[in-house]
Amino acid sequence: MLGSLFRNPLRRPPRQDAFDATLLGSVAIALPAPAGITIPAPCAAVLVDRGGRSRRLAAGSRIAALDGETAWCVHPGPYTCDLVPFAGAPEIGLRVSFAVDASDPRATHQRFDLFLASEAGSAVDLAGFGALAQTALQRELAQGNLDLPPCTTLEEWNTFRSGFNQLMYTRFGVTVDDCVPVDLGAAHDYPALLEARLAAQAVPVTAAASVEPAAAMPAEAFVPACEDARALRRLFLELPCLMCAVRMAVLPADQVRFRQHQELLRRFDLVSLSVGTMPALELAAPGQPLALDEQLRRARHSRRAAAALDEAWALLARMKVAGEGPLDVLFDEADRIVANLETETAARRVTHVQDEVTT
Amino acid sequence: MTAPVFEASCRSILPDGSMLTITATRRPRAGRADVKCSVPGAPAQAERMQQVLRLARHTEPRYDSRDQVVLSADRALDPATRDWELAAVLADRIVRGVFQAARPVVANGWSDAWHLGRIDGRALVNVPDGVLAGGPDALPHLGALTGQPDPGAATASARAWFPLHSGGEHDDLGWVEVSVRPLTGALDADDDAISVPDLDALRQGQVRAALAGARHFDGRGQGQWKTTVRFGETGFSGDSYGLALVMADRIARGREFMARGRVIATGTSSAWHAGKVETVDAVAPKCALILREAGPGDRILLPKAWENALPQGMREALRARGASLACVERIGII
Repeated sequence: MLGSLFRNPLRRPPRQDAFDATLLGSVAIALPAPAGITIPAPCAAVLVDRGGRSRRLAAGSRIAALDGETAWCVHPGPYTCDLVPFAGAPEIGLRVSFAVDASDPRATHQRFDLFLASEAGSAVDLAGFGALAQTALQRELAQGNLDLPPCTTLEEWNTFRSGFNQLMYTRFGVTVDDCVPVDLGAAHDYPALLEARLAAQAVPVTAAASVEPAAAMPAEAFVPACEDARALRRLFLELPCLMCAVRMAVLPADQVRFRQHQELLRRFDLVSLSVGTMPALELAAPGQPLALDEQLRRARHSRRAAAALDEAWALLARMKVAGEGPLDVLFDEADRIVANLETETAARRVTHVQDEVTT
Repeated sequence: MTAPVFEASCRSILPDGSMLTITATRRPRAGRADVKCSVPGAPAQAERMQQVLRLARHTEPRYDSRDQVVLSADRALDPATRDWELAAVLADRIVRGVFQAARPVVANGWSDAWHLGRIDGRALVNVPDGVLAGGPDALPHLGALTGQPDPGAATASARAWFPLHSGGEHDDLGWVEVSVRPLTGALDADDDAISVPDLDALRQGQVRAALAGARHFDGRGQGQWKTTVRFGETGFSGDSYGLALVMADRIARGREFMARGRVIATGTSSAWHAGKVETVDAVAPKCALILREAGPGDRILLPKAWENALPQGMREALRARGASLACVERIGII
């Protein structure tokens, strides 16, 4: 089953663009590298095999990929991108400069390499990476795990910075060198943005009342097979690493905490097992196809499980900066995330849902 | 943060004038559905209620699958009325601690777009005092409960709260709402684009001067916006609403970081064009009022001069409640 998951041709779009090392370091963070080239100077190569294990090659050596390995050429940076922390406030942003870490000798698994293995389809460009980082930041702010209130004081800003730095390192494996608030008024003109929204609203009203407003909006393409494979690949590769990190992040102080910790890890393990043995999307039973709308439902559950995984990484970042104090809150949060993962993976397995209005 | 609630209720006024009570209880999910609804004698309405709640939950940033929420209405619902929808959504939020209400909630409103958090209107014609009424002229979307702008609308509006009088037993927090729309076409004088329908001419002038000054300080927003300023309560005294007004304006124009809860501010300035915040009177009674009213996620902004005069333990008490406080000297980024 797992073999079929990783050989899925939909997962990785075919590589057409030739390797262009000049893009690295400016608009691209990592590019798929063909075998046999010599790695240019500041870059490093990351090779990932089918099971998600990765190794690095230093600059100057030739890329010699073993059978089944995919190679990326990664430029360490530094890079600069603008993030908008609140969707409702597009004119204020954060200018973040970050770099991809050289391999950390203490870690057995580099987080950025894991990111490449599990999330990068092919190339990782700066804009796409910035969008991912922005989503992660916005979610943490919306949930109240990071705080950036109006008239932020210096003390609050420092707290935010340490949380944000840790989030970026834990979630993506990049180190934030600098982060300053900036006025994005010139780039994202709010009046113009609202005018565009007004225009978009005016069309369905005047054109046809029967057209659903939702249909007029640019629909996000949701291909169940792609989404499902991508989400499950992420869960399959990242959950073991996450568990390993959660195990190390907390040193239980007493028996009660130890039990809590063990129980948490046990549940993560079961979710991981459940992901590893997940039935194929398109089959209700061996040789028996599943209805299309059920496939769509399954894919949605996979995606929500992947969203819970994102929250788990963010929680791990909070555990690392928290210290002893708020561990009760963090364990409650972990309980919620694991419960979400359990619910979603269980719902991904079933072939149909019964009517549940009154249960 | 706050003690968990396991039962909450929310009321709504039915077309015949009687009160409908929707009670929400929370219990461990144990493999059941996330929401269960019961309406005596009307299973179709129960199904509609479940749909409404599930849609409205899409606007929440945090998803928790551990609990089941059971909602029950205390009387049969007429399929023709949908005004109970807002009450059901709020009951579901209160019982999970997503929304904290200071006093019992009576709410009327319906929507075709709960998944966007929008509230389209209400059937109730004469809204009594203290009733939360949905609709474009009252509560246009769920985020407006804490003054946040609606991220999907073409009109950006934000609210900030301020103490109406100088604190004390009978004082209350009132809100000021700034709504901005992009201004198309040229404009002769900057001031004309700011309308303040609720106030007398003198105060209208004050509001216009404050906004013009603050926008000048900002360097943006002059001649770009058509602005409407509304007050929840016009019987306020003094000019200590200035900081709240300016903050609401900055948030509506998308130029300020946001709090998760409300922004509660008091402070004035004679020089908004320089971004300066000056002190106002009545430290102790206003602080007592704010301490009484602040809820989780709220952001409290006070003048810098108050920093050393704050009541003992105020910061800690606020932090324990999940609110935060800053004494500011200037508006703008740090």
